[in-house]
Amino acid sequence: MATVSFRGATRYYAGNDKPAVDGLDLDVADGEFLVLVGPSGCGKSTTLRMLAGLEGVDDGEIWIGDKNVTDVEPRARDIAMVFQNYALYPHMTVHENIAFHLKIAKMPKSERDERVQEAAKLLDLEQYLERKPAKLSGGQRQRVAMGRAIVRAPQVFCMDEPLSNLDAKLRVQTRTQIASLQRRLGTTTIYVTHDQVEAMTMGDRVAVLKDGLLQQCDTPVGLFARPRNVFVAGFIGSPAMNLIPTRVEQAGVTLGGATIPLTPQQRAAVTGTDVIVGIRPEGWDLVDPADGLAVTVEAVEELGSDQYLYGSSDAKLLSEGESVEHQEAPHPIVVRTPGMSAHERGQKLGVRPQPGALHLFDKDSGERLPDA
Amino acid sequence: MTAQLSSPPALGSTPRAGGGTPAAHVARRKRLFWPFLIPTLVLYGLFLIVPTIATVVLSFSDWKGAGDTPKFNGITQYTRIFADDAFQSAFVNSLIYIAVGGIGTFILAFLFTMVLRDMRGNKIIRAILFFPNIVAPVALGMFFGIVYRYQPGRQGLANFLLESVGLKAAKFLEADVVTWVVLGSIVWASSGFYITILMAAVDRIPPYLYEDASIAGASPWQKFRNITLPLTWDVVGIAGVLWTINAVKIFELVFVMAGSGTYAPPIHSWTLGIFVFDRSFGDTPAYGTACACAVVMILLVSVFVVALRRLLRREAIQF
Amino acid sequence: MSTDAVVTTLSTEDRPVRKAPRRPKPAPGTKRLSPLRVIGTVIVWLFTAFNIMVLYWLLGAAFKTPLEIFRDPLALPSQLFKSGRPFRNFIYAWDTADFGTAFLNTVLLVAVCSVVIVLISAPAAYALSRLGVRGSGPLTGFIAIGMGIPFQTVVIPLFIVLAKVNLTNNLFGLGLMYVALSLPFTVFLLTGFFRSLPDELEEASAIDGASPTRTFWSIMLPLARGGLITALILNAIGLWNETLLAIVFLQENANFTLSRALFTFYNAASYQSEYGGLLAGVAIIVLPMLVLYILLARRIITGLTLGAGK
Repeated sequence: MATVSFRGATRYYAGNDKPAVDGLDLDVADGEFLVLVGPSGCGKSTTLRMLAGLEGVDDGEIWIGDKNVTDVEPRARDIAMVFQNYALYPHMTVHENIAFHLKIAKMPKSERDERVQEAAKLLDLEQYLERKPAKLSGGQRQRVAMGRAIVRAPQVFCMDEPLSNLDAKLRVQTRTQIASLQRRLGTTTIYVTHDQVEAMTMGDRVAVLKDGLLQQCDTPVGLFARPRNVFVAGFIGSPAMNLIPTRVEQAGVTLGGATIPLTPQQRAAVTGTDVIVGIRPEGWDLVDPADGLAVTVEAVEELGSDQYLYGSSDAKLLSEGESVEHQEAPHPIVVRTPGMSAHERGQKLGVRPQPGALHLFDKDSGERLPDA
Repeated sequence: MTAQLSSPPALGSTPRAGGGTPAAHVARRKRLFWPFLIPTLVLYGLFLIVPTIATVVLSFSDWKGAGDTPKFNGITQYTRIFADDAFQSAFVNSLIYIAVGGIGTFILAFLFTMVLRDMRGNKIIRAILFFPNIVAPVALGMFFGIVYRYQPGRQGLANFLLESVGLKAAKFLEADVVTWVVLGSIVWASSGFYITILMAAVDRIPPYLYEDASIAGASPWQKFRNITLPLTWDVVGIAGVLWTINAVKIFELVFVMAGSGTYAPPIHSWTLGIFVFDRSFGDTPAYGTACACAVVMILLVSVFVVALRRLLRREAIQF
Repeated sequence: MSTDAVVTTLSTEDRPVRKAPRRPKPAPGTKRLSPLRVIGTVIVWLFTAFNIMVLYWLLGAAFKTPLEIFRDPLALPSQLFKSGRPFRNFIYAWDTADFGTAFLNTVLLVAVCSVVIVLISAPAAYALSRLGVRGSGPLTGFIAIGMGIPFQTVVIPLFIVLAKVNLTNNLFGLGLMYVALSLPFTVFLLTGFFRSLPDELEEASAIDGASPTRTFWSIMLPLARGGLITALILNAIGLWNETLLAIVFLQENANFTLSRALFTFYNAASYQSEYGGLLAGVAIIVLPMLVLYILLARRIITGLTLGAGK
């Protein structure tokens, strides 16, 4: 059990001036389940590997508990790692795989076997102990990898996309198991994934990374309700939030006939001339086309429980005075409606943002404007 | 040839569902089987199988060669050769080359592989080390013969180097040491080949296994013992078989190195291959004897290969 | 959940622009300079240097007088250059020892045999690995065992038979044997290659209406080209260096292959102390392989290791 701290951690790859991880400052509390999420290449795996000691740290420090482990070997950090492809030794049985770390640590056999049995019972692997990994299904292999990590009773768990090699249904099943396992064991866990649904459902807190930089670290609700910049707004939540660029005018910003006033602090925070208005698909009210933003439905996605309408708005989203080339193409709009509603292609709708469902971002910097 | 209904698929072809008649194109393809295979089988049979059988048969006879008629006399040839000094030398030497040479090469190759993995320029080094394999053994033999010469005033390269650092020149090709000198030379010449094969096998091991072992706290030796060795075991087995087959065949290298051209080398340096050659095309031909020795060679190879496959067998590892 | 570490470091303008370190730090714990590694590295370099030195010595010796070879083995050749006949050894070997003829014989023999071997082995390997005929596995094994039969085992009967048919002392007879004896290895090697080709292509070609033979020639063969070339090269090297059968079966100088010529030359040369010429002969037999090797090393090595990967 321990806290984990990244203090300005930076990592470069050979030949690249741009760091893979750039000055990361992140504190993880004892027993917390922290998820690192972001698109490919954002540096989340590199961050995890720095923590595990598999990558060198070019600048900054990494602390586990009250020890500075930046230059400490992996073996002395008391961590366990679950790899994306499980890293099971193909020539060893499940039992030997799980016991491997303990064997290297020179634990006596009886104690080893005890611990392996415990872990196997916890993960429902008892009947597979004498099998080799090649004869296991993907889900079983994943559990063996978990078992090997658990059996060490380390201070920190590092998990590198452990679910990405499983099929969708198994993934849903397993993520609940992992989350409840972690709660039961109470070990600090750093979990890397590219899937924002996993991030939202499993993490106590979620850290969103992009291009090596930390975008926002917050609880799932916090990320969803108050994204700090355009990237986080568009990354979290599926289908993605509608992000509509509008021009700042005297009265405020105009969207579909309605004007959204800006407070003086908000105006001050705007660096350029444009503001991006963010509205989640569920944040629209359906109104008469004349009363709101006019949208022509182009596709209907029927999920049974919900229905998503994909369309584009005809309205000019930029103000007069813009030349034709500068105007943006008709902006795609996504609207959520109750499942099995009677909507169809070609239908003309009007949408209006619900009060309180607006997110405003400065277009040039991407940052969230101070709340009104 | 009409396709059978339940022919098991050859490795690599997708198994047909159920046991029904194979698709028409598959059946047509199968008709190619014998036409494609016959030339190979004919040549193989004529030049390898039949002569081998003939050799085995002849080994039970007392045939001196051209101009003599073979008289069958049971296992006399075998008892005779085992009492023969030359054969005993040859047998022991061949054994030494197979066993000691094999183990020596294996250890050397592994050492090199582990060091080379993390070195820069390892591809070039590997290519340089591989080169002696491409040189004709007869050329290598002559080369070594000259290198190991002992002649005061005109020392070979080896003695030249020894003397230049102040050591006494040695008679490398002398009776008692020649086998070991030859062994060393063979190991040197073949190491590149086995290093190459081993490196390819080690390269297949996924790096994340080593990473996990690092996290576990394994020392380099533990990583070797628990990961590298077991996961290259099957390639070691193949390499062992190749080495055995080649070691038994050793002929011109020793013949030229320890001898001098068309004169046979001294008996204590003989290998089984040289023995066969001498008893067939040497001064006093004795084909029956030569055949007996040839059969012994085959048996030796078989014994070693079977033992190796037993020892090193395991089910195929899939990563 | 005590800390609320919400950090946004977005605007790249206020971040100090830092230059990447020339070499990023290695992972902690990877000791670059453990004593074992240092020793190992030194040994490897020594070995490599030794190999290079040997090559240098060989090439140098081919240009030296016998005295030079033994007195100053490591010096650059000078005598012959001084007397204006640097290639004297090579000329000796080429003419006096008939290496010239032997060279041509060998080139022809090796080229023809290698091609024939592949021509015969490829269909066989294809048939054994892809046609799904019952018993293909054991049959392949049966042929592969041939690799383990030492040539000495078959030499005597073959000699007798070929003598009867008057094919001894004859490059054609030798070539025939070369082809037959190389089949086990080549078939074995090629079955591995053919097996690794995807099934769909044969099926697609069948759908297109191609006959099975057509499928083989126009589709499978080009795909296995890598394996075929590797087989060609490996056989060429092996045959170029083959000596035992050449010694047994070739008696006339005019029919000699290079290795056979070298073998005879050895005795004559050491009797006359013609070491320079001898090593020039060795150089002649080795150099073409060296050139081939430099051009094709990667392919040779990958071809071999593909077999090892099974």
